[in-house]
Amino acid sequence: MFDIAIIGGGHAGVEAAWISSQFNLKVAIFSMPEVGLASTPCNPAIGGVGKGQVVREIDALGGLMGRLADLSAIQYRTLNESKGYAVQSTRVQVDKDLYSENAEEILTKETSIEIVKIKVEEIDFVDEIFHIKLADKNTFTAKKVVITAGTFLNGLLHTGRICEEGGRVGCKAGSGLEGFIRGLKLNPMRFKTGTPARLDINSVDFSKMTRQDSDAESINFHFKHSSRDRYVEQVACYLTRTNDETLAIIRANKESSPIFNGQIKGVGPRYCPSIEDKAFRYPDRNSHHVFVEPEGLKCNSVYPNGISSSLPKDVQKNFIHTIVGLENAEILVHGYAVEYDVIDTTELSRTLEHRLLPGLYFAGQINGTSGYEEAAGQGLVAGVNAALSITSEDKFILPREESYIGVMVEDLVTNKRDEPYRLFTARNERRLHVREDNSYVRMAKRRLSLALNQDIDTYLKSFVEQYEVLSELIGKYKYRENSENLELFKSNEWGKLTPNMTLSDLMRRSFVNPVMLLTNELKRNGIVFDERVIRSVAVSNKYHGYIERSKIDLDRVDRFEAKTINLESLMESSNISTECKQRISEIRPETFGQLKRIQGIRPATLAFVAGNFY
Amino acid sequence: MEWLYGNEPIVACSSGNLENTAITVIRLSGFDNLSELNSFFDKDTQKFCPHRTIFCHLIEPCTQKRLDQVVCTYFEGPKSYNGENILEVSVHGNRLNVNRIISAFVEHGPFRKAAPGEFTYRALKNKKLSLSQVEGLDMLLNSSSNYSADQGLEVLCGEINDKYLQLEKAFLNLRSHFELNIDFAEDVGEEVAEENFHKSFYEFHSLVTELNKRIGVNSNLVLSPEIVLYGAVNAGKSSLFNLLLSNERSIVSSIKGTTRDYVSENLVYKDIEFKLIDTAGLRETENEIESEGIKRGLKKVDKAFFNVFVINPFDDINNDSDFKNTDLIIFTHCDQEGFEQRLSEFTKIIKTTPTLNVSLLGGPIEPAKSGPIEPVKSGPIEPAESGPIEPVKSGPIEPVKSGPIEPVNSGPIEPVNSGPIEPVMFYSTEKQVFTAVMDQCFTKYSTLISDKPLLVERHVDVLKALCVKSELFAKLLKSESDLGILSNEINGLAVDIAELLGTIPPDQVLGNIFENFCIGK
Repeated sequence: MFDIAIIGGGHAGVEAAWISSQFNLKVAIFSMPEVGLASTPCNPAIGGVGKGQVVREIDALGGLMGRLADLSAIQYRTLNESKGYAVQSTRVQVDKDLYSENAEEILTKETSIEIVKIKVEEIDFVDEIFHIKLADKNTFTAKKVVITAGTFLNGLLHTGRICEEGGRVGCKAGSGLEGFIRGLKLNPMRFKTGTPARLDINSVDFSKMTRQDSDAESINFHFKHSSRDRYVEQVACYLTRTNDETLAIIRANKESSPIFNGQIKGVGPRYCPSIEDKAFRYPDRNSHHVFVEPEGLKCNSVYPNGISSSLPKDVQKNFIHTIVGLENAEILVHGYAVEYDVIDTTELSRTLEHRLLPGLYFAGQINGTSGYEEAAGQGLVAGVNAALSITSEDKFILPREESYIGVMVEDLVTNKRDEPYRLFTARNERRLHVREDNSYVRMAKRRLSLALNQDIDTYLKSFVEQYEVLSELIGKYKYRENSENLELFKSNEWGKLTPNMTLSDLMRRSFVNPVMLLTNELKRNGIVFDERVIRSVAVSNKYHGYIERSKIDLDRVDRFEAKTINLESLMESSNISTECKQRISEIRPETFGQLKRIQGIRPATLAFVAGNFY
Repeated sequence: MEWLYGNEPIVACSSGNLENTAITVIRLSGFDNLSELNSFFDKDTQKFCPHRTIFCHLIEPCTQKRLDQVVCTYFEGPKSYNGENILEVSVHGNRLNVNRIISAFVEHGPFRKAAPGEFTYRALKNKKLSLSQVEGLDMLLNSSSNYSADQGLEVLCGEINDKYLQLEKAFLNLRSHFELNIDFAEDVGEEVAEENFHKSFYEFHSLVTELNKRIGVNSNLVLSPEIVLYGAVNAGKSSLFNLLLSNERSIVSSIKGTTRDYVSENLVYKDIEFKLIDTAGLRETENEIESEGIKRGLKKVDKAFFNVFVINPFDDINNDSDFKNTDLIIFTHCDQEGFEQRLSEFTKIIKTTPTLNVSLLGGPIEPAKSGPIEPVKSGPIEPAESGPIEPVKSGPIEPVKSGPIEPVNSGPIEPVNSGPIEPVMFYSTEKQVFTAVMDQCFTKYSTLISDKPLLVERHVDVLKALCVKSELFAKLLKSESDLGILSNEINGLAVDIAELLGTIPPDQVLGNIFENFCIGK
């Protein structure tokens, strides 16, 4: 019998398996035979605004994604670089084959996880044990199950009027689980997502496009990797645009678009519209960015980011050929839309365990999220909690105030989804604090509480120690007003040397780059610190005053954030309207903060609860 | 925050119940089911349809005695004023009748008497009204002038509420563009994202600035405009006070120093409720009580809306009074001989402050030189160019100081004559004096409210803070490119916006509102 069985070998499943195997438990992944582990069926990129933070959080928590990303990254980019440290994020393009191969190799060589590549037909729960029946009629048992089935639940693929069953091109939908899940009354919703056609790299004329090279300065995700080492060859991406002609073709084919002719019922993400959406919903815009991104070093396909489509194949070909540089592009695989079932995540607790069937966990796209990073983050939370439920009484909950993963999990279990969920920095109330550069500091306490004693734990202890020492040092390091320092200030253009000025004060000056300053000053004094620690201390120091002030603002609102509420007496209260009660009973908030974020809960209700403190 | 009351069903008289009236409305709120009220009516309450009126009889449940013949209207929660089930019963408005009906509901039903404002309190609790709307309602119900009643309605559901919602919308737009610039700059293009963000901020900022123009006015001046009469002992303040009120309110005697403190009386002129205040006469005194009275009087002068300095020109004026805050100087005893001569000693004052010359004997006295009605300039000839309101111009060139901006045409006062005019003009009949003084007050008041000043103090405070923050942000936007830091400032703005609309109710405000609230609504 397995301790934990993970159904699905995507990013959520791999992360759940990887982390739970660190607990010395018997773990198995059940994956579709046709698909590689941790595959990237859509855009082969890891990270991005808000998502880069998640990848670093996963890495700091002992997860795998950051390592896989670095090892297969063929292009780096720091987004929002000119907009301040708090909103900066790293994104890499990965070699999709390499990424998947690395995942498979690491799981095989470094863990005892059993990888079973046979389709799961049915899961039963009998005598407190899960029975996993496979397509080959074998049955395995497990104490806990994590379902990470992605888009395979009742998956339907659309290209023009052609519509077939499946979770993605070339794979059949995993039809066995629907019955099991339906028996649980999961109230599934139907979502939709899409992907563009893939083009032959040799048929694309890059000379007509704007070139974007890999950023040599972007910092690797994984803690063991030195900051700027690259593990494979770096390549460029290219920027081109749609034009009047492109959109005219799309607009002339509204009837054959499954999104607009009623063929697709699922709800797609507004933040990631297909080119049809762009053409019909925003008739005033006649040009959109198209980023042309290589999918790997060895493979010959490129991903035209920005023109995902489920139009008929000939229409796809016609409109693609209107785009500058793609006039002769050859389509390797046509774009398509996929419709799939997602569960109602308000039935889950913050450990991602199902409330009605303890021992059953859900993570990833089946929870209505989109994005590999979101899936991996949930996989990690579900994996740790499944493991903890066997080894101890503890629960692993990442607070919203400390992490993007915490924001996501809480949003998922608190609010019903009406479209696929993606993380944005906008969802985070404490952007200044929850940054990429301080992920190790933010996550250290949570990871160390698991007492797993791996390399990451040693690293985190050392990181936090260095962080504290350096933070103290910059406050104590003073510039005396002697001629040497006056000269130093003058030659570096650091402004006026004021009495009792510390390094910390100097680093806060708006015209000074705090990271560079701290790095150079340490070097000048012959003091050595981990580069990531220096960066983290420098940025935290810069924002310190702002963070303190924002706490005051937020505290006005969040005084009761963490307070636990008594649901029963709340429901008995006659001061809360029926509609509010209904929402509350659906979501079952545990804290006042959660109650607050339920859609449709009005401030008067909150004030009432806060006043009476249920 | 602490909520003040429990949530039992409540009953109260919702219309005024101090006097006997034809009809009084009794309101019952917060009962679970109409069946709880069945024993009080001769018809089946279960059959009362929402928003329909029912004619029936009210019954005393124990004695089965008929209490009254009534009309009921049922409002079913949550689609009611305060979100609860409400039954409004229109009863005959004899006070005794109203009281015994309320007592019956309290004694034999699940009800308790409502605390003042409790119905609205529940509307707020049940998110039927926002805090700012409650404040508007409070103002509408308790205002003493048309202006504040109008504004109450505007805050509750009119222009001001719209402005606030508009502000909220502009802020939402700003925030959206800001987040777009962070999360989607790649999709829309860096430059476009940046530009739209800046544009949306300036749109928001201009709305804040617009509202900010309306918060400079001290709300007390508008809500309770005080006209203060002050001056030396026995200059004739109390006589003038009585004249303006046309009744004997102050004790008038010829012994100096009879008004010991100050006396006030409400006075309505052109739909505005003024408070007329007669202060203790100014003089050197060793009498503690009297000097305290003088002190209090002077305090009133400092805060007054309109100050009238009363001078008897026949008195020895030995104190160099400060006329900076004086809106109008009244010279009394104009009917006495040598008045004009005495007046010449006050040329300096007359040049800087509008004046009126009055007799205070009450009777229609023939003024020495001019016609009785025509207001006249004290200086040499000057054709008046503005409206007919300013009856007097002091200097030859200087315009009247007390806000002649708005030409209000309502007063019955004759236009200034531009022909050759006698140097001194007298106001002698009570009506002439009254109109001359009150028109000046009215003109100043009209000017005061011409920018539609906001009166709810809390809104003024929040808007002030919001405006300061918005100004700072505008400055910051020019120098700071770190969006993390800007985002912090935007969060700060968000808290104020929420506070303005009352979505985060500050504790004290609530307590204050509900304490001073009219019962019933």
